[in-house]
Amino acid sequence: MAAGSAAANLMLRGGAGLVLLMMTTSIAVVFVGGADPSSGNLDNRLAAPGFGAMLGTDQLGRDVLVRTLAGTAWSLCAALAATFLALLIGTSLALVAAELGGKVALAIELAVNSVITMPGLIIAIIVIAVIGQGWLPIVVTLGLITWPIFTRVILAETLSLKARDYVAASRLVGETRLRIVMFHYLPALRPTLLVMAAFHFADMLIAEGALSFLGLAAPLGAPTWGNMMADARPYVFSAPWMLLAPAAAIVVSVIAANLIGDGLASRFRERRT
Amino acid sequence: MPAAGETRRRPGVGGAALARAGRELARIGVLVLVVTSALFFLLRLTGDPSAMLAGPDASAEQLAAIRAEYGLDRPLIVQYASYLSHLFRGDFGVSLASGQPALTVVLEALPATLALALPALLLAFVCAIGLGAWLGSGTSRARRLMSGLVFILQGTPGFVAGLLLIQLFAIELAWLPSMGAYGAASYVLPVATLAMFLLPKQTRLIASSVREAYQEDYVRTAVAIGATEREVLFRHVLPNAMVGSVALLGAQAALLLSGATVTETIFGWPGAGTLLLTSAQVLDFPVIQAIAIVVALLVFLANVLADVAVAALDPRARDAAEAV
Repeated sequence: MAAGSAAANLMLRGGAGLVLLMMTTSIAVVFVGGADPSSGNLDNRLAAPGFGAMLGTDQLGRDVLVRTLAGTAWSLCAALAATFLALLIGTSLALVAAELGGKVALAIELAVNSVITMPGLIIAIIVIAVIGQGWLPIVVTLGLITWPIFTRVILAETLSLKARDYVAASRLVGETRLRIVMFHYLPALRPTLLVMAAFHFADMLIAEGALSFLGLAAPLGAPTWGNMMADARPYVFSAPWMLLAPAAAIVVSVIAANLIGDGLASRFRERRT
Repeated sequence: MPAAGETRRRPGVGGAALARAGRELARIGVLVLVVTSALFFLLRLTGDPSAMLAGPDASAEQLAAIRAEYGLDRPLIVQYASYLSHLFRGDFGVSLASGQPALTVVLEALPATLALALPALLLAFVCAIGLGAWLGSGTSRARRLMSGLVFILQGTPGFVAGLLLIQLFAIELAWLPSMGAYGAASYVLPVATLAMFLLPKQTRLIASSVREAYQEDYVRTAVAIGATEREVLFRHVLPNAMVGSVALLGAQAALLLSGATVTETIFGWPGAGTLLLTSAQVLDFPVIQAIAIVVALLVFLANVLADVAVAALDPRARDAAEAV
């Protein structure tokens, strides 16, 4: 299995490396370097890529590269936070349902099915209408829409763990529920959680981009990839670079997340066999 | 869980199947009730539609008149009870924006969306089976290259793919229209965009199931007793690989509405997704709620169909269902 694990490691390192590289470049240029994604030079509108602005400028003369890099911090952090929130809600409810069972489990199951049945976009529109646009609202919205997938998978896995002898034995010797959750369930669930989180991160990147693109997530004019692509639409003919930079950024980041997920998955698969 | 399908095989368990179908129906009934109620109160939190209806210059009297006309001046719980009782009689209320019955508005927009979604589903499924079967049935340089392409495609969100398709086929090459629903050619790009939401996951799932199926004993047996490569693939490997894929298709049905909304926005397509966005902008509650209910029912239907198809394809699932 040596060849397989080498490939898995390569995917894992490549994906993680890409994410880190994007993040540090973004921080270095925008937050440390002080490049302003919102300042534009109206005399230099829709300029083609060149010496002044490496990836060209947009309809307000703003630097596309700087805006893309600013969007990197926004999108990666939003997707990461949304993934964490969904994982936290979904896993906690799954563990509670698995341990307590009965009516509590039924109520949680109903909540899972309701949220899955409600079209995510409708919830997103409502939540954003209530709490407004911005970084935190988009994180909360995505977390609130997408936690059920964690509950479903983790609940099924926890129930199978619950039936194992060593868990029954720990119960017999008087271990508390909290101890069983912390020291038996969570370590055993770690591989599944890590793999799911990586793929969820990819989904959240796409969802955040789509919501921003629809004008639902980020405030107008904020430098996010989705906003930039929406801005680029009227100019696809005259200034295609406006579209290509954020499109490339989102594709590369989603691929990086998928690489991490695939790498983790095959690493854990090998360990099991 | 298969709701139907078992009746055909063993008439003896017909009663049980009927009971199961009844339970499923009750379940979706409860779900729709919970979803509608949650939506009702959430939507009322978002703001006052009468202000939107009356316009920015309306006087207090005009606002009051509009509230009275639409029943918005009553206590929330009374509005809720009245909404539910009308809903049970099939009355979804009147669109605040157009004055038309909300359900009619939604049902008029739905065909345009289905005209994109169904071909996209079919296209994604057929392409995924072909590609997945080829990718899973061996290793070669060409296959590795194609796996790489599928991986990149998986990293390309549908709306990015759609914008790039427009850039390439509608603008650079000027082969296809980029906006609106006029004639067959205008379907090509939106259907392709929507199919791209579904294709990569499907392909990778089928490829990995095909790969696994080749390791199964019954396939090795078939090979050992001299079945041709073609027979093995089409009679033994693919039907098995399709089980997971059909189940995924059911799960992806829910994704289609978000995909359709984005696709319709990009292509200026007059469907349910566009309706959802425009209704959200003017807080047209009855229409949003009607969309939610119709979509919930469609997603439920898609899942039931997927379950039936899984049961028909997979003897193990069939037996498990009968054992219940």
